[in-house]
Amino acid sequence: MKLKKLMARVSDFLDADSKTQLEEIKSIRKVLKELKSKERDLKDKIAQVPAKNTEDKEELQIKLDVIYAQRKKGLDRVKELKKLLQEKKRIKLQRASEL
Amino acid sequence: MLKKFTLPVVLLVLAYALWASADFMEIAAGVALFMFGMLCLEEGFKTFTGGTLETLLRKSTNRLWKSLSFGMVSTTLMQSSTLVSLITISFVSAEMITLAAGIGVIMGANIGTTTGAWLIAGLGLRVNIAAYAMPMLVFGVVFLMQKSKAMKGLGYLLMGAGFLFFGIHYMKEGFDAFQSAFDLSAYSMTGMQGVLLFTLIGMLVTVVMQSSHATLLIIITALATGQVSYENALALAIGANLGSAITTALGGLAANLGGRRLAAAHVVFNVITALVGILLINQLAWAVDQGAFLLGIGDEDYLLKLALFHTLFNVLGVILLAPFVNPLASQLVKRISYQKQAAETPLYLFPEALETPETAVDAVRKEVHHLFDNAYGLLAHGVSLKRATIDSEESLSEAVKYTRKIFPIDVENAYEEKIKSLHSEIVAFIAEAQARESNQSASEALYTLRQASRDLVEAVKGMKHLHNNLSRYGLSTNPAIRERYDLIRLQLARLLRDLRLLLDADPEDVSSLSLDALRVSLEKSSRKLLDDLDEMIRHRRLAASIATSVMNDESYVSDICNNLIDAVHTLLLPRLENQSDQLTLDKQEIKQLVDEEARDNGAES
Repeated sequence: MKLKKLMARVSDFLDADSKTQLEEIKSIRKVLKELKSKERDLKDKIAQVPAKNTEDKEELQIKLDVIYAQRKKGLDRVKELKKLLQEKKRIKLQRASEL
Repeated sequence: MLKKFTLPVVLLVLAYALWASADFMEIAAGVALFMFGMLCLEEGFKTFTGGTLETLLRKSTNRLWKSLSFGMVSTTLMQSSTLVSLITISFVSAEMITLAAGIGVIMGANIGTTTGAWLIAGLGLRVNIAAYAMPMLVFGVVFLMQKSKAMKGLGYLLMGAGFLFFGIHYMKEGFDAFQSAFDLSAYSMTGMQGVLLFTLIGMLVTVVMQSSHATLLIIITALATGQVSYENALALAIGANLGSAITTALGGLAANLGGRRLAAAHVVFNVITALVGILLINQLAWAVDQGAFLLGIGDEDYLLKLALFHTLFNVLGVILLAPFVNPLASQLVKRISYQKQAAETPLYLFPEALETPETAVDAVRKEVHHLFDNAYGLLAHGVSLKRATIDSEESLSEAVKYTRKIFPIDVENAYEEKIKSLHSEIVAFIAEAQARESNQSASEALYTLRQASRDLVEAVKGMKHLHNNLSRYGLSTNPAIRERYDLIRLQLARLLRDLRLLLDADPEDVSSLSLDALRVSLEKSSRKLLDDLDEMIRHRRLAASIATSVMNDESYVSDICNNLIDAVHTLLLPRLENQSDQLTLDKQEIKQLVDEEARDNGAES
């Protein structure tokens, strides 16, 4: 299933033009930046919650963990996109040299 | 009773008139063809607008001059103020543009529609346009028979123009022949009496024909053949304007609040313009003479002078009323206000909203939001908390802890009254919208909104089961049982508060990612509740029979929460036009995250 999903993504990526792909990277980066600032806010909030208020602290911690997971997913996706973009560039150059 | 007999009487009188006078038949056929042509043109433009007109309307109405220009240009191009008014009413009804912007568009359309008089007076009666009409009809039918939507649209446009031309031709012929038999000009009246009488006639003719364009055609043709005097023709033109406002008012009565306000604005605008026109008719006639001289229109060219009068008179209305658009809008908002309706009555599903796919989607989205509000109140009462408590910043755990009684609500009855009927209305409206012209994105949006409505229904259905056990065990004297049910109530109350905050938040601060934390929190607390329950059964602190009830109720609350999150996700979709959806955690990732946390907590303990 995972391989299928990956293959579908790769084929989508190869079909799309480089401009769209760069735009995708750019917009994910924008979201990542927003998530980073949310992460900072949450950390500040957690630090301000009194130690005995475990319930609130736990709720905030969940939000923080989710943001970590989302950021990780986003960073992985950017890495993957960049790698594919480089690969595409390499194939193009190779074709050009063959001609 | 009167309505029942009006149509047959009108038909009989019309049949007699057609039988008695061949000339009248020719004139009536001309009007019929002209009106049919307008219908065809409208249909053709509807095919082509497919989003363009709507996008333009949304983007170009943020300033008064822009709304005025939009109304003017679009009506000039399409020669149909009805189409522009209908779309504007649908946009104001769906709250996609403001009332003030809508008034601006209607004012602009009033000026735009005067170009019709120029076309009829300038071209229609000078050139043998019937000669152009025939090839248009032939090509129009050929295009109409094509499969492509664009071709069909073009076919409608050509046929529309063809029938319009034919209508003008027949009217002209009819009046020419009529003149030799009768001389209506003998009935012409001068002075204020004449102005008032002919304004009334113009208004009545427009109300009967439902088109000021058609009335103007009759006035211009009658004027060209000398059947009415120039002075009376001016009054008839004022009457045509008044009549079109009455037509819009009748249409607006069936619309929702926004539509009614806009229709009222149209009436106010046209009545004031007509009053000014009647009072200043001599001054306007003088201004027309001066304007005609400047434009090089001959002294005896009454047709073009009438067209000029029509334009000047509408421009004067706009100049007089444009500075008062915002005060007029706020007065209308104050006077035509919302009457408290039953919770099950749809607030946004009106026939006007079906005009375009965009407005239909927007109306359904707002109605699903309304359904969410109903479900929200019902679910809050279901867990025996006041809506105000959840909306406030009060501690929910304390509110739950200190609950003294379980609200004795009849969830089944409330479901039937507030949820099911509204859900049925939403489903019926979506079916109606899908039967009309639509595009792929609108169809998809309607599909997801129907699912969201269903999710809300499912959530309330879950409460029906949950409430039974809450009534039995919710305030149990056994602290262990009470504690379990308090947790269940708290879980739902917290989610309701979080969802409300998300829906009310600034669009900038909301992303689909915010819902992930709610899903994780839900999964985690449901897992904790079950773990605790296992332990209690093991230590015999809870009878297995009650424990299974708690487990069932936990499952109900979990389903309710998931349904609510899914519905809110759909409601938030228009605000999520970025890539953040890609980073949303799927079920697997959420489970993984909860597992990791459980492992961490286990290691810590």
